[in-house]
Amino acid sequence: MENNKNSISVLVIGAGIAGIESSLLLANSGAKVYLVEKASYFGGNIIKCEEVFPNMECATCMIAPKQQELLQSESIELLTLSEVEDVQGSVGDFTVKVKKRARYVNLENCIGCNECFGPCPVEVDNEFEEKLSKRKAIYIPCPGALPNAPVIDTDNCLRFKGENCQLCQENCVFDAIDYTQQDESLELNVQAIVVATGFKTYDLTQAPQYGYGKLNNVYSMVEVERICASNGPTEGQIVLRNGKAPESVAIIHCVGREEKGYCSSVCCMASIKQAHFLKNKIPGLKITQLYSDLCVPGRVYQRFYEEVKESGVDFIRATVSEVKGQGTGVAIKYKTENGEENTLNVDMLILAPAIEPGVDSARLADILGIPQDEHGFFNEKEPDLDSVDTSREGVFIAGCAQSPKDVPDTVAEAEATVGKILSLSR
Amino acid sequence: MAKKIGVYVCECGNNIADNVDIDRIIKTISPMRNIEVIEKYRLLCSEDGKEFLKQSIKDNELTHLVVAACSPKQHEQTFMNVCLAAGLNPYLFQMANIREQCAWVTPDKEEATDKAIRQITAAIARVAYQEALGKRDIDVSPDVLVIGGGIAGIRAAQVLASSDRKVYLVEKSSSLGGKVKSFDKLFTKMESGSALIDKELRKVEKDENVEVFTDSEVEQILGFFGNFEIKVVKEATGEEREFNVGAVVLATGFDLMDLKALPQYGYDKLQDVYTSIEFEEMNVPGGPTSGKILLKNGKPPGSVAIIHCVGREEKGYCSKVCCMYSLKFARMLQDRLPEAKVSQIYSDLCIPGKAYQKFYDETKGLGVEFIHGEKINITQNGKGITVKYESNSGQGIDLAVDMVILVPAMEPGNDTNRFAEMLGIPVDNEGFLAQEHQLLAPVASSVEGVFVVGCTQGPKNISESIVQSEAAAGKILSTLVPGRKLELEVKTSEISETFCTGCKTCISVCPYSAINFDNSRKIAVVNEALCHGCGVCAAACPSGAARVKNFAFTQIYQEVEALLK
Repeated sequence: MENNKNSISVLVIGAGIAGIESSLLLANSGAKVYLVEKASYFGGNIIKCEEVFPNMECATCMIAPKQQELLQSESIELLTLSEVEDVQGSVGDFTVKVKKRARYVNLENCIGCNECFGPCPVEVDNEFEEKLSKRKAIYIPCPGALPNAPVIDTDNCLRFKGENCQLCQENCVFDAIDYTQQDESLELNVQAIVVATGFKTYDLTQAPQYGYGKLNNVYSMVEVERICASNGPTEGQIVLRNGKAPESVAIIHCVGREEKGYCSSVCCMASIKQAHFLKNKIPGLKITQLYSDLCVPGRVYQRFYEEVKESGVDFIRATVSEVKGQGTGVAIKYKTENGEENTLNVDMLILAPAIEPGVDSARLADILGIPQDEHGFFNEKEPDLDSVDTSREGVFIAGCAQSPKDVPDTVAEAEATVGKILSLSR
Repeated sequence: MAKKIGVYVCECGNNIADNVDIDRIIKTISPMRNIEVIEKYRLLCSEDGKEFLKQSIKDNELTHLVVAACSPKQHEQTFMNVCLAAGLNPYLFQMANIREQCAWVTPDKEEATDKAIRQITAAIARVAYQEALGKRDIDVSPDVLVIGGGIAGIRAAQVLASSDRKVYLVEKSSSLGGKVKSFDKLFTKMESGSALIDKELRKVEKDENVEVFTDSEVEQILGFFGNFEIKVVKEATGEEREFNVGAVVLATGFDLMDLKALPQYGYDKLQDVYTSIEFEEMNVPGGPTSGKILLKNGKPPGSVAIIHCVGREEKGYCSKVCCMYSLKFARMLQDRLPEAKVSQIYSDLCIPGKAYQKFYDETKGLGVEFIHGEKINITQNGKGITVKYESNSGQGIDLAVDMVILVPAMEPGNDTNRFAEMLGIPVDNEGFLAQEHQLLAPVASSVEGVFVVGCTQGPKNISESIVQSEAAAGKILSTLVPGRKLELEVKTSEISETFCTGCKTCISVCPYSAINFDNSRKIAVVNEALCHGCGVCAAACPSGAARVKNFAFTQIYQEVEALLK
């Protein structure tokens, strides 16, 4: 690799908290960064959270300054709606092909005034909101999403289905809507690659004993994050699908752990966080956590657990055998450690699903030529010793793409990839 | 010089124009004092808009600029760049947010316009008192001091050292390798710790850009990010070395909790009750038992209990790695003493991540017994030991064993406090060094240029410690670039020599240790290289001597008065 560190360029795949941190540090060093994100917005999973443990900071407020810094950086090219299609070459000289899908909205002209949504006649489920609300065919996923510009969903847009609708364009005073935009193919030359493609959660319909998808008041933890979110479908009102606030809630930990064969590291803390949040919103709410082992590692997490427990949240070590509908609520049959069988009736059941590698992992592993483990996470070069390196020199991994982990460990790994990349050039 | 203030109102397409009466704004503002020009424009952030603004600043020879548009979060930097291009100091510019705070918050156009006028008037009142500030930079040393020669410190040195950057690695004991060196096996691969350290050390020892100090203590760290002055003393000879570095990495590791404070576990009273470190030593070929697992009577144990979470309750935190190394101990026992019965008494199994549960499942499959037990009490019973615990159903149960291994909580290394005081880094309730931000800046400390990695900042396994070292290296390599100067914060605080009474209140509240006391003049002095301009000192100063540039009382009072007029 060249000795001049100012001249390096790096491809970062995935613009969640890990990709953002890597990009900002690299840009600061003088490197050119191409940050590729497949969604129309950036920020990753963390921007779905209202608050993050253990200090209950507002997640979007916490990372907004980083997002702004990134958008204003002249050294970082954020490529949204983009995917890596091919990688050739080796460390110091990778040739990368990126497909950039058309947004049909000109980012230079659009100021994010949202005037184009109103007139759009199409209404479909909003995936970002876990289908708990609707969106238009031209949309932003949620208020505050960045870059502050909508995208046209061509699967549902009438015009792209052959009809003569141009209501959004007519309502845009900035001439930002451009139906003629085309997908682009970009070819980039980079010296190193950071893979930070994050996670998705276990498909809860694979665990039918918990009633997810069949019982109305059984929710995934991700859905509850959106219900708690002030920019979410209920604007932060904690209500069930029938519009009523719950009086009792149960949270079942480790859903999918046995099937997956690993502990997802963060779900205990996330469950405790949701209990904290719900209890604050609805002080009289009765909350029961059904868990197998509490995983609250490190110097601060246990204290958070104790605080929440003291606030009146019940923690029961139990195995859940069955979940059934009971009136408008849910009946949970469980067995405690000493063999006692009990039933718990609640208005709302929240399931904490296992964490899985991001949807694109297999395809990317193939393109990048890096191995995955039996669970689909990218393999580090040498477990414990080289956690952010891969078997392909110059390709690095960070965050949940490597293994389930919390925010600080994710950020540390992102910073570590930068350490490794900047030390390559000698 | 007469003030010539220019005011530009952005219509933001229809976003502002539809909900705010811009003509009324112009009519109201234009007769005000010092207003040289007031104009509206359709979209000031567009390329045309920026060009128009630049030209207008030049043509009207403006001395101050107010832009009434969107949130400064969106376009303050944009317009500061326009100022630079037009030859106007960008700190003589103020933005009034009439979109998010006026046009978008009420359907009542009259109210929105009234509020917009107030905000613009306030910006005008304030901008007239702002001062021109310039960017400043300082020369920096790219070199790094790494304190602690364990696995974390060694890795930090490896990643940081290069032909244009020297690393000083200081270890207080006689050799590098830390705790890991003395572990016979490491989870999950069951490889030798000393072999790992040897392999890691070879990379450092070969590198002429790493200077290793053993038997040495860091006696002094003065200065600030980019320019620390270091003094290292070799303990035996008293030999002193002084050098400069740009950054410091603290990797001072951990100790185990002293179990004498927990008599219920029988440590130090009962013969065959060991700590985890003592058990590790027993397994090392060169150790006290020549690598054999033996009771004090010289015989191998027929049954062993491994007690998890010793001291967890007292400490108030989970030490994170003990479950995993307890599993490792079970493997070592099974390997060397296949006949021995191994029981693990745990409270919660903490085996996070993609790889650890498999290790647990395999260990369990070898016949190791896992018991969920609480309220443990350990006593002598004839020649053996009785471990009493409370089972799930609340029943007291006695387990008779030959040997007990206690797994104590991890504590910060005994040097941690000394460095915390030397550097002014806060320690948390548990005595670990606090991070700049728990989530977003996990390896930075509150002192810029000082990084805390590994168990110095909380219990961690080898993998996490190494990642943190590489992370600190990433932060350092991306900011301390050889040959590049370091840009300083522009809006720093300053303390008036005339008004300062030397009460030191500011020194006690500054979160960045950026204020020193000048003993000869008996006043507080701000180190601008360390100051972040947070303004805590200005708020706390009882004599009004401390102020943040461009957040002076006059500016704030002028702004508030105009808002309330």
